[in-house]
Amino acid sequence: MFRTMIRPLFKNKKFIIGFSIFLFFLFLGIFGPMFYRVDPTEMTWDYEQPPSSAHPLGTDTYGRDVLAQLLHGIRSSLYIGFLAAIISLVIGTIIGSFSAVKRGIVDDVLMGITNIVLTTPSILIAILIASYLKVRSVEMVAVILGLFQWPWFARAIRAQLMSVMSREYVYLSVMAGYSDLRLVIEDLIPTIATYAFMSFVLFINGGIMGEAGLSLIGLGPTQGISLGIMLQWAVLMEAVRRGLWWWFVPPGLAIVAVTASLLVISTAMDEVFNPRLREE
Amino acid sequence: MGSKSMFKYLLRRFIFLLVTYIVATTIVFILPRAIPGNPLSQILSGLSRVAQANPEAIRAAERTLMEEFGLGKPWYVQYFEFITKALRGDLGTSITFYPRKVIDLIIPVIPWTLILLLPATIVAWILGNSLGALAAYKRNTWIDKGVLTTSLIVSQIPYYWLGMIFIFLFGVKLGWLPVQGAYSQGTIPNLSWSFFVDVLKHYIMPFASIVVSAMGGWAIGMRLMVIYELGSDYAMFSEYLGMKDKRIFKYVFRNSLLPQITGLALSLGGVLGGALITEIVFNYPGTGYLLFRALTTLDYPLIQGIFVILIASIYLANFIVDFLYALIDPRIRLGQEA
Repeated sequence: MFRTMIRPLFKNKKFIIGFSIFLFFLFLGIFGPMFYRVDPTEMTWDYEQPPSSAHPLGTDTYGRDVLAQLLHGIRSSLYIGFLAAIISLVIGTIIGSFSAVKRGIVDDVLMGITNIVLTTPSILIAILIASYLKVRSVEMVAVILGLFQWPWFARAIRAQLMSVMSREYVYLSVMAGYSDLRLVIEDLIPTIATYAFMSFVLFINGGIMGEAGLSLIGLGPTQGISLGIMLQWAVLMEAVRRGLWWWFVPPGLAIVAVTASLLVISTAMDEVFNPRLREE
Repeated sequence: MGSKSMFKYLLRRFIFLLVTYIVATTIVFILPRAIPGNPLSQILSGLSRVAQANPEAIRAAERTLMEEFGLGKPWYVQYFEFITKALRGDLGTSITFYPRKVIDLIIPVIPWTLILLLPATIVAWILGNSLGALAAYKRNTWIDKGVLTTSLIVSQIPYYWLGMIFIFLFGVKLGWLPVQGAYSQGTIPNLSWSFFVDVLKHYIMPFASIVVSAMGGWAIGMRLMVIYELGSDYAMFSEYLGMKDKRIFKYVFRNSLLPQITGLALSLGGVLGGALITEIVFNYPGTGYLLFRALTTLDYPLIQGIFVILIASIYLANFIVDFLYALIDPRIRLGQEA
């Protein structure tokens, strides 16, 4: 697997660039708060200060250090993104592969559900659910977001597996008496591995963007710091109209950098593994 | 044969639409009742805090709410009343703006959202698709690489953050454009030339921020679609026949546009809920801003009402798209759905 999958990826320039940028932010999120040991919630009298040596990215209206908020924000936004992505991936894989393997009524019911969730605007339902929860943990926000972004993936998985199911080696396994579960795990899952990984990357993206959107309208995690919560405070305190650029520019840039790098990674994978897109 | 299959297809789509709508409104119905910490009691305690001046009004509000939430009645009666009322457009009474009806609050803000989002969505679509097609046509040149890279980055800029950057640059730093609202404070909407110019000035930044951030996605999609189409059998065959590149590209372009038209139709359907946060960032008086105010005051009847309207408009648009698509492409109504 290493030879056939990983190595060609690292020959792709786009992939290397996207991957490096993402790794950089991943490290910032994981190790940043360990090295820059400033409490992001500590309020000081040094409020609304532009960047200086004491506060590399300045402070907000409550005198909280923006760099410390940014590092913690990257950490929790990535965490929410990962968690939401795992939830979406698991739901999508289960529904998609069950539909493809069981066919018949199971397929009809599962695809019916999938289509309903697909047509319902997920961010609206997420807003609605979040508005009824008085206390929202970071994990809960991830669950709310993860619950709604799987349908297109489930449909793609189902379509792909349907075509795999008609190949000879699958027939052989069926004749050999494989159980459905063994069939899925040994014969089917490996064929969708790259596609699943690409989708996983985009799910992280969706989670990060979703958190930012929810938080901005005041429905993000009720405790802690995230990139979205930073933006929310900046909007609430009119940071934009009062020209406090160091407050709202960094979190937005971080969101763009992380999500764009993930999109580049997924596009590059598409190019490497999809012969029609390969550059001649 | 044609019209019969069309009818069957539409009937199927309509039933799906109805089922989806009922599921969605059911979610709207269940949530406040399923989540612990009865929102109604919260609302009532909030009410008594807000309007101390007029206890009689509070009692009236309480009665209206009790009645509208149908408390005390069995859940299936409540449910039936909720669904049938929603279908008739009766969305209850607002708490924050008591005693105004929810529907009367929503109707006046819808035009602002439509005026902002319909043109923005269409302009972004035209620009994005042109750029994407151009990139695919000039595949592997610097134009292609430039368009692709910019689109990748721009498509990941949250539209509201771009709006914030615009406000900061063009509003605060350069002072070219007004930084909030749909028209200057203190003016009363009227049909004069000066009001029109005022509205236009307030319009530019939210409009531009939506167009720019939506463009990239269309460009990426179109580029990919054209590249796929260029690799298809008919394009290859035309090339072997010696057809001119420009002419092949014309066919390819037309075929690639079809899925993009579906996409456009769908995003037009989602227009009412499409850029909720832009309106918040710009204090623009549309549906998003109304929803934000409803959320901050936990005005649940208003929140629910906005959802019912948004969801209905999105489903309706979906249905219209399906209908138009079946008109254009007979394969769809003959039951070969993907």
